[in-house]
Amino acid sequence: MAELGDIANEFIRDEIDEFLEREDERTRNIEHFAQARPLMQDIAAALIDGAHEEVDALTRSALDEGIEALEIMDDGLIAGMGIVGIKFRENFIFVPEVLSCARAMKAGMAHIEPILSDSGIEPIGTVVMGTVKGDLHDIGKNLCIMMLRGAGFVVHDLGVDTSEDEFIAAIEEHGATLLGMSALLTTTMPNMGKTIEAFIDEDLRDDVKIMVGGAPVTPEFAEDMGADGYGKDALACVELAKQLLSE
Amino acid sequence: MVPIDPGEYQKRLDKLTSMLGDIVQHADTQAQSRCPYKNRHGECTAQFGCRNQRKNPQAGGALLCVGDDQLDYRSAWESEKRPTPPTDAQGSGQLRCGDGAHPSTRHSTLFDASDALSVAVPTSCYRSGSCHECIVEVKQGMEALNGRTRDELFLSDPYRLACQAEIVDPDIDVEFAPLNRTPRILTLSTPPPNAIDPLVARRGDRVFYGEEEVDTYRGHVLGIAIDLGTTTVAMELIDLETGQSMEVASFENPQRFGGSDVMYRISYDGAHPRELRQAIVRAINRQIAQWCTTFNVHRHCIYELVVAGNSTMRDILFRYDVQCIGQKPYKSQVELEFLDGQRPHTALCEKTRRLGVRAHPKARVYGLPLVASHVGADVAADLCTTQLDEQADAVLLIDVGTNTEVVAIHNGRMVAASSPAGPAFEGGAVTYGMPGYEGAIERLRWNGSGWDYSTIGNQPAQGICGSGLIDLLAELRRHELMSPKGVFSDRQRAISVVPETGISLSRLDASNLAQAKAANYCGQYIVLRALGLAPAQVKKLYLAGGFAHYVDAQAAIDIGFLAPVPVERIEKIGNASLGGARDVLLSQQKRRQLEQLVQQIEHVELETTPDFFELFVDGCQFKPMPSTLI
Repeated sequence: MAELGDIANEFIRDEIDEFLEREDERTRNIEHFAQARPLMQDIAAALIDGAHEEVDALTRSALDEGIEALEIMDDGLIAGMGIVGIKFRENFIFVPEVLSCARAMKAGMAHIEPILSDSGIEPIGTVVMGTVKGDLHDIGKNLCIMMLRGAGFVVHDLGVDTSEDEFIAAIEEHGATLLGMSALLTTTMPNMGKTIEAFIDEDLRDDVKIMVGGAPVTPEFAEDMGADGYGKDALACVELAKQLLSE
Repeated sequence: MVPIDPGEYQKRLDKLTSMLGDIVQHADTQAQSRCPYKNRHGECTAQFGCRNQRKNPQAGGALLCVGDDQLDYRSAWESEKRPTPPTDAQGSGQLRCGDGAHPSTRHSTLFDASDALSVAVPTSCYRSGSCHECIVEVKQGMEALNGRTRDELFLSDPYRLACQAEIVDPDIDVEFAPLNRTPRILTLSTPPPNAIDPLVARRGDRVFYGEEEVDTYRGHVLGIAIDLGTTTVAMELIDLETGQSMEVASFENPQRFGGSDVMYRISYDGAHPRELRQAIVRAINRQIAQWCTTFNVHRHCIYELVVAGNSTMRDILFRYDVQCIGQKPYKSQVELEFLDGQRPHTALCEKTRRLGVRAHPKARVYGLPLVASHVGADVAADLCTTQLDEQADAVLLIDVGTNTEVVAIHNGRMVAASSPAGPAFEGGAVTYGMPGYEGAIERLRWNGSGWDYSTIGNQPAQGICGSGLIDLLAELRRHELMSPKGVFSDRQRAISVVPETGISLSRLDASNLAQAKAANYCGQYIVLRALGLAPAQVKKLYLAGGFAHYVDAQAAIDIGFLAPVPVERIEKIGNASLGGARDVLLSQQKRRQLEQLVQQIEHVELETTPDFFELFVDGCQFKPMPSTLI
């Protein structure tokens, strides 16, 4: 039986001691981190802290040291994310913190992606995502992106206030086959339709599947403006993306 | 490089998906009550503007979120980008306050300047613009400042909130001063009663609340009487062992940001639950803390607080929903429960801990019973002070305030009414009106060519308080400078009172005062008429409350603000509500009697009186009330 003191990284020890209350979760995490290399613990600690630059540098050096990608995922990135999930569930941290951890996770995964393609593993799909023009709300979209990346998609995030031209340029640049648009305001929702029209005008509509979401968007509205699918939340978004790709 | 096995990789993805799935599901649940853009430090991470965003008092800190996680936070979101964070830039101007001066810096606030100049400016909202306590007068250089923010719309020139007034042009000199807003204490000093029987008593080294043992004796047994007025709050610290008053303190009701009269407060409380209650509880706690320092006692020595106040003020403190007092039939939740037989009386009692009041944790807060509708616990307290009951004959009690209450007693009947006079005589709705603070003109006489006046504290005139306004109106009538309908002579648009500072009375001001006066007039008229009591028959008129104490009774009668009761029969009793709260704090017997007495009072509702409108129109004229009321 491993004990808290067996974990080399002080930050991880404190996190477990302070935030993990359920006995089974404590035991499991202590066991896991106690057997993990100190460098993996450092990666997990940086991820929990939302320090994406640190995760980036540490993952790079781990790979350079010859550590296997799967081990980095298991003992560093995923193990760290496990603690983030528990802290979030218990309301110790909130959505903005979770999203910065997700960004740190992505920084680590960026170094693993080339190895995946060298190993003959292709991403499940490539998606361009953005909040439409005039709209600055991004939480829902960011949660979708986090889920999509976790499910093995490559996601290019265009951020907020994205113009039709920016969407089109990104689709062409990345050869993406999926476009995700989000809007939170009833006033900006029509910009989804305008973007779809722009794709038609550019004769690119058939090259992409377009999915939409956001609080005021309904399946009816999505269909009216000619989207290929509507996702009500981040979970539905992943299912929808997979389904659109198989069509 | 070790290649990755696709099957193994997929296992990792599945695990991650399941973990992240739990996260987004929880995010969904949490979003029902908490804005997802609010991080764990209570800071806002959104790129867009939001009404809940407030400047962080720490320099360079992220915007704070003041959303209360209760309302639909999305309604506060704005679609525009928030302004870019300010950059500091020192200019050639100076910021002056008192004797101090400090270089002016772009985007710094007057509050920052107060800090630099060591000038104390009050705040209870971490300078977020919500408590409205940090009002400063800008004496020079208003043009160097940003425009009024949403939080400052209630202020008129030259006043700003120190936390919101930001330097936009640091090359201009600015001079400002914190507002001296010390209300006069309106209680009359009364000797402690000879015999007291407070509910809280010491027996040996134990302290009892009734029969419940609450504490071991700590050297003091203290209680607090509170009069919770719409405009002014008065608190009195009392030694429950001797009945001796230790100190009376008075301050502006911090709920002023929620509007100046009870109707505004009710609607504000509906839209922003908890804010008003928190504001008053904080203010009460601050006063308690101050007393604890002054008298070097621990707050755990305070075992009971007794609160008088109108129905709305009292019930907001006691965490009741006040929406139903604001609409027909204007009955509070407590009164409805009483009428329904669910309560033996309308008095309230709660543990301090539940209300957030910081006294002894087992201490109680007792709310005096209310009479009916808006005739609240403040009137009950007045009755207690004046020792009035149904045995009294031809007595009229008027508690003048933002809400004026009238009780008349005659031939064994007691009739009460409440008139929503509004704040015109207490500093609201009149351009140069102000509450009875230092610098307010309180006496006025026309000398044939100009005005002789005196101010509270003999300070330079800043505005006119209620007694001054009544003098002004009466003098304008006596010298035919204004018609009964409020039209000024010689087609003047305004009456200049202090030409040097521009203090004047406009036609609109006169009209607002006429309406406030009419509400007072109608309450007295209808109550007296209900008992068949002519003003001249009134043997005693008790005049309670706020500015009424300083009013020249004859002037008030001349303009119809008071019923024409012979002046020598008028007794001003000051802030009688506080006295009543003190009496109840010190006497269990009075407490029980009052709980029963208020049930004997008949309540008349002004608005449903058939000729209310005609009476109101008559009441709007600046002339005495008729001697017979039909």
